[in-house]
Amino acid sequence: MKEYELFIGPQHPGITGNMMYHLWVDGDTVTKAECNVGCLHRGFERLMESRLWMQNIPLVCRICVPEPDVNEAAYSMAVEQLMDWEIPERAKYIRTIVLELARIAAYLMAIGSYAGSIGIYTIPQWSLGDRDYILDIFEQLTGARIYHIYIWPGGVRWDMPAGLPKLIEKTLSYIEKRLELYDDVLFENRIFFDRAIGVGKIPCDKAIEWGVSGPNLRACGYGYDVRKLEPYAAYDEIDFDIVSYPDLGKFDTHEAGDVYTRMLIRRLEIEQSIAIIRQALKKMPEGEHILKHPNWLRWKVPAGYAFARVESSKGEFGYFVVSDGELKPVRVHVRGPSYTHGINVAERLLKGANIADVSQILFSLDICPPDIER
Amino acid sequence: MKSIELIGKGKEMHGRAYIEVMPDELENAIKKLKENGFNHFVMLSCIDWLEEEKFELVYHLWSYEVKEHVMLSVRMNRNNASMPSMSHLFPQIETYEREIHEMYGIEFDGNNRLTPFLLENWHHAPPMRKDFDSEKFVGKLYESIPFIEEDENEGI
Repeated sequence: MKEYELFIGPQHPGITGNMMYHLWVDGDTVTKAECNVGCLHRGFERLMESRLWMQNIPLVCRICVPEPDVNEAAYSMAVEQLMDWEIPERAKYIRTIVLELARIAAYLMAIGSYAGSIGIYTIPQWSLGDRDYILDIFEQLTGARIYHIYIWPGGVRWDMPAGLPKLIEKTLSYIEKRLELYDDVLFENRIFFDRAIGVGKIPCDKAIEWGVSGPNLRACGYGYDVRKLEPYAAYDEIDFDIVSYPDLGKFDTHEAGDVYTRMLIRRLEIEQSIAIIRQALKKMPEGEHILKHPNWLRWKVPAGYAFARVESSKGEFGYFVVSDGELKPVRVHVRGPSYTHGINVAERLLKGANIADVSQILFSLDICPPDIER
Repeated sequence: MKSIELIGKGKEMHGRAYIEVMPDELENAIKKLKENGFNHFVMLSCIDWLEEEKFELVYHLWSYEVKEHVMLSVRMNRNNASMPSMSHLFPQIETYEREIHEMYGIEFDGNNRLTPFLLENWHHAPPMRKDFDSEKFVGKLYESIPFIEEDENEGI
């Protein structure tokens, strides 16, 4: 059959946001794929160079919509490295709780949108509804649902309200119960097995060289997690497991690096996040939540290069911050996990895939175009 | 630090190794680091030092074995800046070079995919350069639309 071209996106329900894939198709097999981004480019990196250090906090969170807190945390950590600040213990624990709540919310969104891509439309309704309960916690804690602007250089903006741990515990036990339903409808569903096993396999020997990180790398059998490799916030004081192939708990193990394994890693990590939050709530000490800060308007950060990385739900998020000792940064460069997953990895995985599998491969990589384009 | 021992120079900066290399040493340095466990390419950043008339490229590598982050820095002149492409060493460098080519105007010899990436139909100066005045650019592009504060007769 003659080869033809197919454009998926930027307005398409089977695409992971405002981006486009240009496919060359023979029959229903993709022979070549090219990623085309640019719809979401907002010039944040340029904008950050012309703003004060503190004014950048409301900007960075907009770099990843489903999980904005990792950006605030990574940027703040990079600035703290330059300032040589050690943040208060309580702030470390609050950061851990916020980051893990955000991770659960992002995983719920990822699982929901993935299930939609294989035609199980019940899960997106449920998971986005359940995510809202986490957003309720954020609203009480930070005053905002999506962009919290809560983690600041030097700590967190406000202390945790007294009644919040109770609400968090209530929400966590609710989500735990809901996970069983998710298993029934999606993760132990015949449709999921038939569609996902062996599809969109990342070659495990190439995974690190290709720059794969996060749950996608752990699905390839490498138990690497920034939370353990380079502990930040309070992760070094908390006991948790890294979920990686081939240990998938109660689920059957099939092939490494395929869609099935990638999604199950996400499902199992929600349980780990719940355990982390419970421990952090128990261990959280009393005390200050933020350092005594300088006048933000006249705040100069010492010259130097700093790089901070955090583990987001999508992979390794990094901030490279360069200062020349002035009021504004010289350069802030964001390393988004989707930069590699969405372009180089996806283009390679889509080659040879079936058209019907394109969207589930993209959703299972959990690509988020805002962090490609910034 | 292991990377500083491998390359034979460099310093520690906030827990990361920072090594300045000459452009002709870069390929061997990355190869050597890659062979010795620094197999995760984190990212490639570009910094525009306008006063020194230099571009600085920073290649970030990470080793999962020794848990070490290394920043390889290369400086070049701002005029007709060009660098040999490193995309044969790590495939994702291709995308970073595409973006830096578009945003800073640096040529990467050997990368044959320096096609438009984020910007579309862009015929102006590379927008991430420090001498690109975005306010002036926007004013010129949209000069037919008056700014609100210029319109004296009608208040908001």
